[in-house]
Amino acid sequence: MSFGRFALKRSLQGIGVVWGVVTVVFALRFVTPGSPINAVAPLDASQETRQAIAAELGLDQPLYVQYGQYVFDLLQGDMGRSYIRGQEVTTLVFERLPATVELALAASVVAIVLAIPLGVISATRRNEPVDYGATLLSLGGISTPNFWLGIMLILIFAVEFNVFNTSGRGVDVGDVALSVINAEPFAGTLLTWLAYITLPAIALGTYFMALITRLTRSGMLDELSKGYVQAARAKGLPRTLIRYKHALRNTLIPVITVLGLQLGTLIGGAVITEAVFSWPGLGTLVIESINQRDWPALQGSLIVIGTSFVLVNILVDVVYAYLDPEVVND
Amino acid sequence: MVSSRVIRNLKKEFRQSGLAKLGLALVVVIVLTAVFAPFVAPHDPTEQQLDQSELPPIGFSETTERTSSEMVDGEIQTVTEEVEITPDPDHVFGTDGLGRDMFSRVVYGARTSLVVGVLGTLLAASIGVPVGLLAGYHRGRVDDALMRIADISLAFPSLVLAVALIGLWGRAAVNVPDPFVVAGLAPEMPESFVLPITVVIVVGLVNWVWFARVARGEALSLRGQEYVKASRALGADDNTIILRHVLPNAITPIIVLGTVQVAAIILLESSLSFLGFSGTTLSWGFDIAQGRDYVSSGQWWIASIPGLAIMLSVIGINLLGDWLRDALDPGIEGEGGAA
Repeated sequence: MSFGRFALKRSLQGIGVVWGVVTVVFALRFVTPGSPINAVAPLDASQETRQAIAAELGLDQPLYVQYGQYVFDLLQGDMGRSYIRGQEVTTLVFERLPATVELALAASVVAIVLAIPLGVISATRRNEPVDYGATLLSLGGISTPNFWLGIMLILIFAVEFNVFNTSGRGVDVGDVALSVINAEPFAGTLLTWLAYITLPAIALGTYFMALITRLTRSGMLDELSKGYVQAARAKGLPRTLIRYKHALRNTLIPVITVLGLQLGTLIGGAVITEAVFSWPGLGTLVIESINQRDWPALQGSLIVIGTSFVLVNILVDVVYAYLDPEVVND
Repeated sequence: MVSSRVIRNLKKEFRQSGLAKLGLALVVVIVLTAVFAPFVAPHDPTEQQLDQSELPPIGFSETTERTSSEMVDGEIQTVTEEVEITPDPDHVFGTDGLGRDMFSRVVYGARTSLVVGVLGTLLAASIGVPVGLLAGYHRGRVDDALMRIADISLAFPSLVLAVALIGLWGRAAVNVPDPFVVAGLAPEMPESFVLPITVVIVVGLVNWVWFARVARGEALSLRGQEYVKASRALGADDNTIILRHVLPNAITPIIVLGTVQVAAIILLESSLSFLGFSGTTLSWGFDIAQGRDYVSSGQWWIASIPGLAIMLSVIGINLLGDWLRDALDPGIEGEGGAA
């Protein structure tokens, strides 16, 4: 199979999965006790009022018509109107999405920047104090609930030392970028941005830092014991070149795959981190929508979360196939 | 299929690894604490003593400002004074905002975490393992269907799906009478253990797919083995082959995954309780949520201590998982579980 065909096949599979995601999300409403009308109608609404609401929301239609209508609208980017907020769900979701993506990316940066050097050092200095330190740190990291870590960070840095903000988003990263591009003084905006994002990014990123450290360490140990490394050493290549150019590169490929699969954990973690830091993202919207039985908003958020996961994993697989052509023939 | 070789490897790895010893010690302590909670806990974890609220843990004194108003010469005067709050030796970890003993709450919280962790994992495994084995063994359409379902299921983060299902289905709980209290051995403790049954079901439903993936992978590689072919040639039917030959040889990675899953589900349960999506109020996550409101006013221990309990339990179980993985099958990849 050629690379192009592989990419195409993987994309088509992805479309199938997204369709499945949409169907599951749609079905969720029908396996949930209580009618969605309850979320909209006043408690003392008469039967006529309830019927009128049902008709207006299209809930009086047969199931397959509702489903068809939902998928049809969705294909045109229409996810309905929020029961509670009255806004278009598409607008609502894409208003919240950037905040979550920003948080998730910041957390990934924190994680990757710390974890890869840590994992490499840990592997190359096996059983030395630095290795034990890194092992314990990563063990703690994968075992700590991120919401608790967030609260502890608030306790230490915001309450005790009064640095960093603990609630809300401050400015979005786009504003910072804009100041830089316009050659305006950007130090102020940048500092505000950092003051808000640092703690949530650490709280969310720690688990991934720990995970990547562990993966990098074991992957590096594995690679360094292989024949090609010994051959390179025998040839007299410098150690750094062997470690960073050869071994690390081969280590990172499986690390990337695991990270793709763990994206769900990252988004799930973002939901709860947002709750701790009142970060106005998609996670907050999901929880609010559940509590208010705001079906269109909940369905929209879940579909966007599920679809992002599918897209990122297709991307990971395609990049993987590009880096390692053997995968294509699997 | 626990052969003597497996036991020898376990022992050897255990002797060599300090971390394995630490893990086992932590897990043993936590399991004993959970089982014998009524004897370990000095107080009823739900008993409120409002006159003893917000006491710091032993070794920490706290000063707080107390404002009181009094009438002096017909005018209201507000007096602010610094009060030192000293710990009470009766409350080792201090008390929470309602004067409940933190140590007793941590002890009882271990029950919720472990029971949900273990039952949730068993449920996930009992769905995922048969489905995975069948799909991997038979391949073809069943397998394709399973893989698509797994893909769809993975697209939803465990926590998001769990929150949605519990939020929508409700937070049912079952009261399980505490045998020690029923027997009259620990009369002053809560009569029953509140099992958040929806949480158990939902974490099982959310995490089965990890077991299905591992079981499928094992079945795929085992179905081509000589002994499987041989028993097929001898006329054994597929279900017998799966039960007698495939499952026993696939069990090692499933056990390793199961251990990691208990840890992952404990973390998931604590997240759910923290967000208020649980059926019980005796849970570490719930206590952290309560303690969060006291962080800015200086009562740091209410949120900190239950979190340390989660961390130590999960570290213990993860270490146990590492030990099992290293001893049973050095070939298994390190990570693979949902948190």
